[in-house]
Amino acid sequence: MKKNTAAMKLIVFICNWGPHTAMHTLQEQGADIPNEIGLIRVPCAGRINRALLLRAFEMGADGVALLGCSAGACRYGSGTETAVGNIDDMQEILDLLGIGRQRLRLGMSLPDEAPQLLQFLKTFSDDIRALGKSPVEPQAMKAVQAQAPDTAALVRAIIAGRDVFACQDCGKCTSACPLALTGKNYSPRAIANAVITGGATSETVQKDVRACLTCGLCHERCPSDVNFPEFIRDLRGLERPDSETRSEAHEGFFQSLMRTMASPGLTTRKWQWLGNDVAIDPASKTLFWGGCAAYFDYFFRNFLAVKTRDILVDSLKLLNFFDIKPAVLEDERCCGHDLLWAGDEKNFLRLARLNAQAIKEHGIEEIICACPECYRTFVHDYPAHGIELACKVTHLYDILEREIDKGAVGFKKLEHAVTFQDPCRLSRLEGKADLPRKLISRLKTQGFKEMQDFGAAALCCGNCAWTGCDAYSKKLQVLRLKQARATGSDLLITSCPKCQIHLTCAMEDPIQSGDIKIEMIDLTGVLVKTLRWE
Amino acid sequence: MTKAAAITTKKEILVTGFGGQGVVLIGSILGQAAALGDHRESTQVQSYGPESRGGYCCSQIIIDDRQIQYPYVRRPDILVCMSQTGYDKYAYMLLDTTLLITDQDLVKPIGFDRDYLSIPATRLAEEMGRKMIANIVMLGFFSSVTLAVSRKSVEEAVKDSVPKGTEEMNLNAFKKGWDYGAAMLKGREKKAAGHAGVAS
Ligand code: SF4
Ligand code: SF4
Ligand code: SF4
Repeated sequence: MKKNTAAMKLIVFICNWGPHTAMHTLQEQGADIPNEIGLIRVPCAGRINRALLLRAFEMGADGVALLGCSAGACRYGSGTETAVGNIDDMQEILDLLGIGRQRLRLGMSLPDEAPQLLQFLKTFSDDIRALGKSPVEPQAMKAVQAQAPDTAALVRAIIAGRDVFACQDCGKCTSACPLALTGKNYSPRAIANAVITGGATSETVQKDVRACLTCGLCHERCPSDVNFPEFIRDLRGLERPDSETRSEAHEGFFQSLMRTMASPGLTTRKWQWLGNDVAIDPASKTLFWGGCAAYFDYFFRNFLAVKTRDILVDSLKLLNFFDIKPAVLEDERCCGHDLLWAGDEKNFLRLARLNAQAIKEHGIEEIICACPECYRTFVHDYPAHGIELACKVTHLYDILEREIDKGAVGFKKLEHAVTFQDPCRLSRLEGKADLPRKLISRLKTQGFKEMQDFGAAALCCGNCAWTGCDAYSKKLQVLRLKQARATGSDLLITSCPKCQIHLTCAMEDPIQSGDIKIEMIDLTGVLVKTLRWE
Repeated sequence: MTKAAAITTKKEILVTGFGGQGVVLIGSILGQAAALGDHRESTQVQSYGPESRGGYCCSQIIIDDRQIQYPYVRRPDILVCMSQTGYDKYAYMLLDTTLLITDQDLVKPIGFDRDYLSIPATRLAEEMGRKMIANIVMLGFFSSVTLAVSRKSVEEAVKDSVPKGTEEMNLNAFKKGWDYGAAMLKGREKKAAGHAGVAS
């Protein structure tokens, strides 16, 4: 078998201390270091975080190795340990992505271990050559444009498209905006004003545009129906922000993950972890769409330890309970929600087209979504961008409500007083706030009490599309959790994996946690615990 | 019970309730569905208590594949009770093999120690906004748990028998009862197999 080895791209991040000394020895000896290896010298292996490791793959690396000092020899103490953790997480994630854990490895060496290092590099390069090219196709990082885009014309189109001239300057948006409420120097009204008067690309506006939660509360109140979230989305897409205004959370890991999934040649293994306690029918024309929960759980396993994957298992169990055995797409990709809302319409469209094609190829007649973001994206944003899914899209809750309403089922007592965190995509953007409530009202709880702000007026969980997480997001989350606690409830029911993640994150606050901690569970989890045949 | 077996055996059916509940309509719809829709023989007779409105009321239906010689129920295969007096009055006719069906909230089958099926038909009808369609909810339930007549035929007969303009509402009521029955049978099956909850 002859493979094009010249085109192989291997990236080796090499720590300045132990491994680099060994490498130096090899170079001085003129050792035959495989020539497809590109070396990147770094101060410490522990500093190469998961976002950077993934970025190498996104940019087309066929293999990546991280070389650090042997355990105990780290100059900074914890570097090696951090590197081990990062590699572990990334190997799981690469498996889910269908890139495969074998393409990423960790090497450790002491300064005098040059022969061992050479052996490591040779094995690494042989293994990757045997695996062949990575399925990820790198994209041009910045499209080389024949001429600079006419930004002024684009801004005019955005203003017209979202009818921003209809703004009456009343300020209702700013008084409704949760970010302004936290004391952040931020005002949607001011953004609208600035954009109209030619300030769309100014640094302040660009920064503010990336701070917005796209929660839609302002749009809810606006007398002129200015669709602020979508206006913000358009502004985000205007230009790639420079590093200063850039505000991706977690160093852009998730954006990178989603862009990687937009590679046509990739065959993900998104469901490989699914156990056989749920029944799947690969031939079914009803598709259960899971979303990205599995990635989140690996990424956050050592920090928040969220179990959002359980939402998918519980959804499938509930469908099975009603004798519905759906199919799942083994190579499911991201729906594109976060890329779209982060302003990356180009990659959103790549994902959307690939998804639409896969759904069509499987002859799917109905998609069932449990994630409010996937749901909203399929029913609203795909058609709005000219992507037609030739099938019905249904939220899981609609199916559960329909089945439960047929009767003959009941609920075990739930020994909790409960309150509910509205998912903004379902409750506000899709106007379905009463859907989860219908199910909650059927539960036998010790009482259900709404928070001060609820339904279409609810406060958000503090982040959207992994963009713009800062101290004010935290402040907002603390406020929200205090509202939850003020209901006197001891259980907060959620309906979106992201709410679980972001609110759990806020509860980690060492100073506030006593006042804001509350047990959280997804609605599917409550139903699995209590629903039964009578 | 398979569908085919259910449709080819003789069925003697008693439907009881109080006047105004529409038990006679249940009887005539069933009779019509069996005869016109399923092309079988059927008879339907009705009787009332001393005061028809509010007093008990009874509809007797026989469905068979052969000619029916005698139109009164002697050995009921199915007894449907929509009121307590209806039950009290006809309980004496219950055989070991009779399937008893009741309105859950209105009938307490005192002295009956076997398994039976019930649906809160009146409550469901109230939830749908019309108490008067309780009989059609019951008809839907009856049809799905007994399969004595085919679903399509009963639905046709419902459409023909109810006042113009109320067809859709009545068909919804029928579906409500049918789904409830189907869900109940499924639930019983799952419980019998030891799968009452979602997790187990
Ligand atoms: S609420 Fe609407 S009209 Fe009022 S200032 Fe904001 S965008 Fe303008
Ligand atoms: S979408 Fe939410 S965060 Fe953004 S400006 Fe409107 S209210 Fe504020
Ligand atoms: S709230 Fe926490 S988990 Fe969410 S984006 Fe911010 S830092 Fe990340």
